[in-house]
Amino acid sequence: MKFLVVDDSSTMRRIIINTLNKLGHKECLEAGNGVEGLARLSEGMVDMVITDWNMPEMSGIDFIRALRASDATKKVPILMVTTNAAEDDIVEAMKAGVNNYVVKPFTPDTMREKIEAAIA
Amino acid sequence: MPSPIPTQLVDTLTTSVEDVFTTMVFQPVQPGGVVGEVPRLKQTNIVATVAFAGHRRGAVSFHSSADCAKDIAGSMLGITPAEINGELPDAIGEIANMIAGTFRTKLAAFEPACAISVPTVTMGSDFATRYVAEVSRTVIPFTMSGQTLWVELILTGQ
Repeated sequence: MKFLVVDDSSTMRRIIINTLNKLGHKECLEAGNGVEGLARLSEGMVDMVITDWNMPEMSGIDFIRALRASDATKKVPILMVTTNAAEDDIVEAMKAGVNNYVVKPFTPDTMREKIEAAIA
Repeated sequence: MPSPIPTQLVDTLTTSVEDVFTTMVFQPVQPGGVVGEVPRLKQTNIVATVAFAGHRRGAVSFHSSADCAKDIAGSMLGITPAEINGELPDAIGEIANMIAGTFRTKLAAFEPACAISVPTVTMGSDFATRYVAEVSRTVIPFTMSGQTLWVELILTGQ
């Protein structure tokens, strides 16, 4: 599977990509915010988008809404990885169109289970 | 005189720090007894702070020496501490973000949720942090592989 990892923290992008590599997923693109994420996707599609919530320029929620509003990306599975884990946050993310939700801190097993559930 | 910080909040913050280090740093930490102040370090050190507001107002701060911070960042990123260079502020800011976020999530199980800020990170030598408002503070020391780090909880308007 090919992934796009969108997070303003280079540390968190590295951790997520390291985790994906451990799970056997070697094809990973990166973006630092939603605007960059849309630009990456305009160059070619991926099998799953993994995005943070709190980012400059375009938040994760606005990025997800933009993906869902476009014919080219409206069906791509989206996983949100964030510390925002209150019930209201999860409801807002689900309404915006995420397929699943990973709360930081997370283990590789959690990431694998959420990816599998998002594409099921 | 500010009110003392409730034990439940201290315990919740302690377990939040333990969760983050076990899961994302791959190194367990052992909490020590609560202290009043972070010792003033003469060597280069790092402070990462995340503020929160809503049902409660305050901040969570992470403090450590630069060497300890490099060990943490290296372990998180899967590289040696010697390879750490420009990644240090971002990595330690992310540690503070995850500690504050986990603390917020655990608190939201029994009280209204707060919003948290983006982290601010300060690096340097021979500096101290001061708070202009009357605040309640508590500092929890943790040991990690023989090194000490501190996590501070600051509450205003209790």
